[in-house]
Amino acid sequence: MKVVISGIGTISAAGFNLEENLNSMKNGKRNAGLVSLFQNVLAYPVLEVKNLPEKMEMEGIRTFYLALTAAKEAFIDANLSMPLSGFNVGVCLGTTVASQLNDIDFYSTFRKFGNADLKAVERFLRGNLSEALAHLIKATGPSVTVANACSSGTDAIGIALLWLRSGICDMVIAGGADELNRVPYCGFGSLGILSKSLCAPFDKDRTGLNLGEGAGIVILEREDVYIKRGGTPLLYLSGYGSAADSYHLTAPRPDGKGLESAIKKALSDSGISAKDVCFVNAHGTGTIDNDKVESAVLSRIFGENIKYFSTKGYTGHTLGGAGGIEAAYTAAALKQQWIPASAGFISKGDQIPISPVTVNTNISGSYAVSTSLAFGGNNAAIVVEKV
Amino acid sequence: MEEVNKMNLDDIRKLLKELLIESLSLEDIEPDDIGDDEILFGEGLGLDSLDAVEIVVLLQRNFGLEVKDMNQGKEIFYSINTLAKYVYENTRT
Amino acid sequence: MYISGIGIVFTRGRGIDCFENALKQGWADPFWTDSFPAYRVSKDILSDKTVSKKLRRADKFSKMAVLSAVDAYKDSGLILKNDEKLGVVLATAFGPHTTTFSFIDDILDYGDANVSPTKFSNSVHNAAVSYISTVLESRGPTVTLTDFSYPFQNALLLADSWLKEDRCEHVLCGCVDELSAVMEYACKIKLKTAADGKIKPFMFSDSPVSVLGEGSVFFMLSKEKCENNYGNVSQISFSKALKNNPDITIIDADGMAGDESGYEEISNNGLPISGYSPVFGSMIVGSAFNFAAACLMLRNQLIYKCPVLDNNTNMNLCSTIQDEKICEINCIKICRSKKYSIINIIK
Repeated sequence: MKVVISGIGTISAAGFNLEENLNSMKNGKRNAGLVSLFQNVLAYPVLEVKNLPEKMEMEGIRTFYLALTAAKEAFIDANLSMPLSGFNVGVCLGTTVASQLNDIDFYSTFRKFGNADLKAVERFLRGNLSEALAHLIKATGPSVTVANACSSGTDAIGIALLWLRSGICDMVIAGGADELNRVPYCGFGSLGILSKSLCAPFDKDRTGLNLGEGAGIVILEREDVYIKRGGTPLLYLSGYGSAADSYHLTAPRPDGKGLESAIKKALSDSGISAKDVCFVNAHGTGTIDNDKVESAVLSRIFGENIKYFSTKGYTGHTLGGAGGIEAAYTAAALKQQWIPASAGFISKGDQIPISPVTVNTNISGSYAVSTSLAFGGNNAAIVVEKV
Repeated sequence: MEEVNKMNLDDIRKLLKELLIESLSLEDIEPDDIGDDEILFGEGLGLDSLDAVEIVVLLQRNFGLEVKDMNQGKEIFYSINTLAKYVYENTRT
Repeated sequence: MYISGIGIVFTRGRGIDCFENALKQGWADPFWTDSFPAYRVSKDILSDKTVSKKLRRADKFSKMAVLSAVDAYKDSGLILKNDEKLGVVLATAFGPHTTTFSFIDDILDYGDANVSPTKFSNSVHNAAVSYISTVLESRGPTVTLTDFSYPFQNALLLADSWLKEDRCEHVLCGCVDELSAVMEYACKIKLKTAADGKIKPFMFSDSPVSVLGEGSVFFMLSKEKCENNYGNVSQISFSKALKNNPDITIIDADGMAGDESGYEEISNNGLPISGYSPVFGSMIVGSAFNFAAACLMLRNQLIYKCPVLDNNTNMNLCSTIQDEKICEINCIKICRSKKYSIINIIK
């Protein structure tokens, strides 16, 4: 039983929809700047989604609004209309920011006075990302939010795949979303892994990551359901793998065994081998450690000629949104048979065994892999297949 | 912080040991258990990369000192002695 | 899906034996702070010098998670040779929010540039699973889920799918939630607190009383039946229509999920009904603790008495502890939306 990717939607600093995102990448446009969304004293560049309408749905839960925007695009792409009656629809989304009550104004008032207006709390309780979306679209299938840090989106898509294979629903809205927020901004700053300049994934002079925000959603359907409603399958989600580093709370495992295991499991789940993969959409954050480990693993598994790239130069690291956005990009790239240059990369140096692509590149092939490495040591990979 | 510039090396070593134990949650360790020359990272006390960035914050908060990059940090954080020397030299005004 | 081990950390202590004793003892007074009751987990319950130094930096949330996960692993008696064969699923409603607020304290007190990276690292929901996999040297799949309605049920579902797809041979599947000053403040306003410290699961009120709790429960779930076996999860359903006649039905009524009138129709069929939230407290992850009680009942062939019997309908409550032939138990949770969830466990 195969699982079709019937719709794709994405929003990030690179654009409001998939087409805008792809155009930004095609033209090498990087929309970084200083933080405008909240007050702060740090000067690390970030990639914000600009010009969102002021009055956002759900009274300003930005993460939910980003997810909903991407979801709406994906519904249209999948030729689905609201309400989704007649289908048993699940929702599985990844996030980090939206899973926390991190409203600083609320907490600041509470700790000063011992009481505070509960609006922020109520917003939080209505804002479990998957639950909120499921409620809005009246989905009747399973719903759960994945909080697996940077691999949340990829893991959410993987869980959706498992749900569909086990037959507990017909369709899943899957992916991830995260807004830019002062808490992780300060947190990543304190870890010393934010770059003061534009990030340069896999480059020898890379100095860290840039935070971003956004959402990436894929609509996944059982193939028979999709065909029955008149669809012609073009893209499939054919495999998923996940494995833990068992190493450290923040640093990735130096030998990359966890990522290697996750990728191999995804390939095996897909029924393919490494040589069948025509490109890899890497996690590529721009930190010294991630890029070193990841490029070594990619080289080991796929050989020195594998075409790979990171899109975080265009979106920033969108945390829970990364896996969703990158799945969307991977599917789109496979469909359109081209991949973008790995923004920010100039030269690899000694630490990085193979270079990512440096120009927009045409590809031909049927399979692509997207990888995610999370804080805390979880590694996840998916395989996308084109007919 | 005003008093740091009046502290001698010995007092700074003692203060650093107390601060490390507290901020790095080093359980069942007393300040006297940490040797002045004991290697802090890897072997010895067995601290790791997360502890290193925590010490960076510790230095900022308690002494107003900024460690510009972690290569510099590697030398300063070698032992209590090197750490104390760094604090002493940079807080004399 | 076989339950081969259980580990638990809750208000009265640590370990499945401790939990069993608590079920036998029945209701006990919660901790009172300015006439506000809560079933807290005190610090001494979490002190353990044998668990590795890798927990040095861990916060309370992660410590509860690791201790109960490690205990579940040990309880199973299994020693896993291949470190990729064990998966870990953790589900939570609110995650390590105490640490998030402590991190925000740092922002407010010391400024954006002087915040603790350790606190930040601990404040992410998946830190606990990172500690678990590191302590157990386990490199299988790991996921943290968050949900305000059915966290435990979703965790079980995922564990089941991993085992069915042979992604691992065993899964440590569990739930954790903790209390904080902010949470208690919000709950005092939004929920009805039991003035006598007693949760009353069988009043089926539309505004039920609660006594907040915190803690962690982990289950070692196995594809094959193991030497140590509590029971077999035969079904996890999100629909009302489970046509079976369980020996006992355990309900997750605890004052946390709003209107509980929906449980009344379950009691009307005359079959034995029970609920143990007055022992461990009101938690969105409370299902996991009730499930642990179900596991004990199946293994020990013993029905534990309902800790609080208050009710105003004629129902068949488990009112005395008794040896009984028990083959099948349903654990039921109903949330605000009237959506049902049923976990069916058989001997």
